[in-house]
Amino acid sequence: MRKSLDYIIETIIFICGMLSIIFVVLIFSFLLKEGLSFFKDFSFIKFITNQFWYPNSKIPSFGILPLICGSVLVTLGACLIAVPIGVMTALFISEIAPKGVRDILKSLVELMAAIPSVVIGFVGMVTIVPVVKNIFNLPTGLSAFSGSIMLGFMAVPTIVTISEDAIRSVPGQYKEGALALGATKWQTLRRIVLKAAMPGIIAAIMLGIGRVIGETMAVMMITGNAAHVPHSIFDPIRTMTSTIAAEMGETVRGGMHYKSLFAIGLVLFLITFIVNFIADLFLGKNKNL
Amino acid sequence: MVDKIQIKNLSCYYNKKCVLESLTINVVKNEILSVIGPANSGKTTFLRTLNRMSDLEVSFKRTGDVFLNEENIFYMNMEFLRKRVSMLFAMPIPLPMSIYNNIIYAPKRLGLVNKKSDMDILVEQSLKDASLWNDVKDRLHTSAMKMSGGQQQRLCIARILAIDPEVILFDEPCSGLDPISTAKVEESMLELKRKYTILLVTNNVKQASRVSDRTAFFLMGKLIEVDKTEKLFISPKEKQTEDYITGRFG
Repeated sequence: MRKSLDYIIETIIFICGMLSIIFVVLIFSFLLKEGLSFFKDFSFIKFITNQFWYPNSKIPSFGILPLICGSVLVTLGACLIAVPIGVMTALFISEIAPKGVRDILKSLVELMAAIPSVVIGFVGMVTIVPVVKNIFNLPTGLSAFSGSIMLGFMAVPTIVTISEDAIRSVPGQYKEGALALGATKWQTLRRIVLKAAMPGIIAAIMLGIGRVIGETMAVMMITGNAAHVPHSIFDPIRTMTSTIAAEMGETVRGGMHYKSLFAIGLVLFLITFIVNFIADLFLGKNKNL
Repeated sequence: MVDKIQIKNLSCYYNKKCVLESLTINVVKNEILSVIGPANSGKTTFLRTLNRMSDLEVSFKRTGDVFLNEENIFYMNMEFLRKRVSMLFAMPIPLPMSIYNNIIYAPKRLGLVNKKSDMDILVEQSLKDASLWNDVKDRLHTSAMKMSGGQQQRLCIARILAIDPEVILFDEPCSGLDPISTAKVEESMLELKRKYTILLVTNNVKQASRVSDRTAFFLMGKLIEVDKTEKLFISPKEKQTEDYITGRFG
């Protein structure tokens, strides 16, 4: 009896494990099928280097360069904001803050992660956008800059919670070892604790970037949705994700426009894959010191 | 006989619970003083107070004074004190970097060496003094985490020697080591005594009798007895000491 129960449970766990792999493979192969069929009719090089995204004009032009630029610009801006704030906050929570402050701060940060992105987008639209418009004297505040600020704040909770775990799991003995050699508290934090926690912190940053690249709704509401190559961070832009979200509803299934959106998905996948790959390389290097 | 460290009426508390009670003892220059006693006797607290590691804990309170070369350590700069009074822990703690950087980390930061050539010399000398040079000279730039336990502990000793302290505190340095590594560590302790003053906290009574010049016996936060090692082990004055070293309790 107990043996067969064991067997059943093992089988269920096995099936669950396999299912998640199968889903990923299915999603990927579907994306690949729809996306690649687009490149039969439209060259890949032209697709990523053409400056014009006019999928619905009489002579359609599928150039996603502006979309790639938009995504990269917003992501970079968001990282510049989120990484320092996130890592510093994590350091503060795990190493410096007194216990009472730590508990409050930690639950607040976790609460921040639970806010739906649409809500953040909405709040950003009515707060950040007018402020940015007035401060920098722009024709519109719907810009990559506003998007970066808001996405930055969306990535902060992810970065904080995961790096905080990484920092706290650094054995206390490392700290003692450095302190006993006469290092100050700050030197210990910087050279020992941060260094030992670096793989975890990099993972946290990667997940944060993942959230920023994949974010759709909020970014659509706040960046102005203009598909042209931006000249500065204060230009309105459009990201790859928001293009897919905004246009999928208006396409004809199986048409060029429909397939082009899958091709965008494929490029997006490629970019996140490269980001993860670079992160892995970095982690591997870190392990060997 | 010069007193290196004088401890006067030192009491320590964790969360207001007294763990060390009005301790007065001195440590002579270039001696090995062992501290033995059962768990909770306050011996580790005693050691950690001498380089103010225990001051890092919020719930720790102390009264009394400790003088290093007649200078009160509680008025000293904490980082500078730890350069002069260094500590070796029970578990070997290599920092998460290469062997070379483990040794050079503290001297570089304290400004003891600046030039690359001086660093190389210091690393080599420290490793030789800790009898580790031959084991690792070909892989100085690989991670220190990949060494064996005994090597790691000797690396920690080399790291301490590199900052040239005055006093070295050993906190059960051999509790995780095999007998051969233990013998090596003990050997280097006897070697080091010529230059440094050593305090050794140990659960291993035999180890205390092997290496130390004087031995102190702690029980329940109180110093019961301190004397020349041979004297304490052969004819202890107190009954509790005798019971402990003959293994009747503890």
